[in-house]
Amino acid sequence: MRSLTLAGAALAAMAPVWAHHSGAMFDAQKTVTLQGTVRTFEWANPHCWVQLLVMKDGTAQEWSVEMGATTELYRSGWRPHTLQAGDSVTIVVHPLRDGSPGAQFLSAFGADGMPLGKARTRTSS
Amino acid sequence: MIRPVVSGIVLALLASLATAAPNSARRVQAFARLPDWTGLWETALSKALTTAGGRSAGTGGAYLKLVGHPPFNPEWEQKYQAALASPAVQAARDETLKGCGIGSPEYVRSFPNIMEAPMVFQVVVTPEETLFVMDHGEVRHIYTDRRTHPGADDLWPTPLGDSIGHWEGQTLVIDTIARTAGVLSMFSPAAELSARAHFIERVHQTDKNTLEDRLTIDDPERFIHPWVVTFRYTRAADLTRFIPYDCEADRNPIENGKLTIAPP
Repeated sequence: MRSLTLAGAALAAMAPVWAHHSGAMFDAQKTVTLQGTVRTFEWANPHCWVQLLVMKDGTAQEWSVEMGATTELYRSGWRPHTLQAGDSVTIVVHPLRDGSPGAQFLSAFGADGMPLGKARTRTSS
Repeated sequence: MIRPVVSGIVLALLASLATAAPNSARRVQAFARLPDWTGLWETALSKALTTAGGRSAGTGGAYLKLVGHPPFNPEWEQKYQAALASPAVQAARDETLKGCGIGSPEYVRSFPNIMEAPMVFQVVVTPEETLFVMDHGEVRHIYTDRRTHPGADDLWPTPLGDSIGHWEGQTLVIDTIARTAGVLSMFSPAAELSARAHFIERVHQTDKNTLEDRLTIDDPERFIHPWVVTFRYTRAADLTRFIPYDCEADRNPIENGKLTIAPP
């Protein structure tokens, strides 16, 4: 009985925490770098999204890149117009486990190679 | 006939004067005795989400208190263990967990879960009541006007329960009852409370930038002794305004027991 309890508690403790939902659909062991053109940048809750057109074998494939909520992006230096349609961008992601073109955002770099956003400010301590 | 009309006019005039009147000296003094908790506060969960991707760097156990093991009595301990092993509960915790939006369970918006799982909240302190205004939209009303809980005929379970409070110096003591029976924490769907659960919180500021909420939960139907968890909140000094966290544009439906991404 005791070992079951600990096992259950440990499972809950081991998982990372996500802002809105479980991260089970993303493969956190796999990191992919996407280079493409922004189709849309959706500033919304519970997630902001980048719809990114990535060329693959001569064809544009559209990826849905899930970001955090507006508060998280805002505090990370992002703004509603940080990305605009037509922008060239490189985005590092954890892809979906099922292989479809969706992913969780990790970081992004503009056409000039500079990172977008910033490390979150910690002014409270 | 004229008399009631005149009385009505006089009453309306008095009401408008009362509305326009400044705070009484007594109320001003009452305000002066209360702590200043203005500004925005963030949970340990929010503090852990340090990237624009919305994922914590560490594991949940480092930030979440309600995922602990409540002190269930033998009957409910057995049920808790069975739930932990249940595929449905495991899926609710590991696969389909959602804080809001399409397919999210109602308990994600219940107390005490909302004391752990908003990102940012505001505390509005007045002599009559203190409000906890959560970015997910919930508002807890803590009445501090010396009222008691409603009588049995006027009370029924709700997700946030019924809260009254009083001040012990600079500490707000909150007493909450009549919380809807069910899951305690969205991160721990195996643990369920009865509608008789009783909650006592002691909220106070430990330093300029830290607010602490020491929560004691007792469930006479299910616990062998009260259970204490402590939430610590940090002042979100980089935010100068309240940003709502709505779920209007949720694109994560659950299909075939799995979270997915819907097209835009």
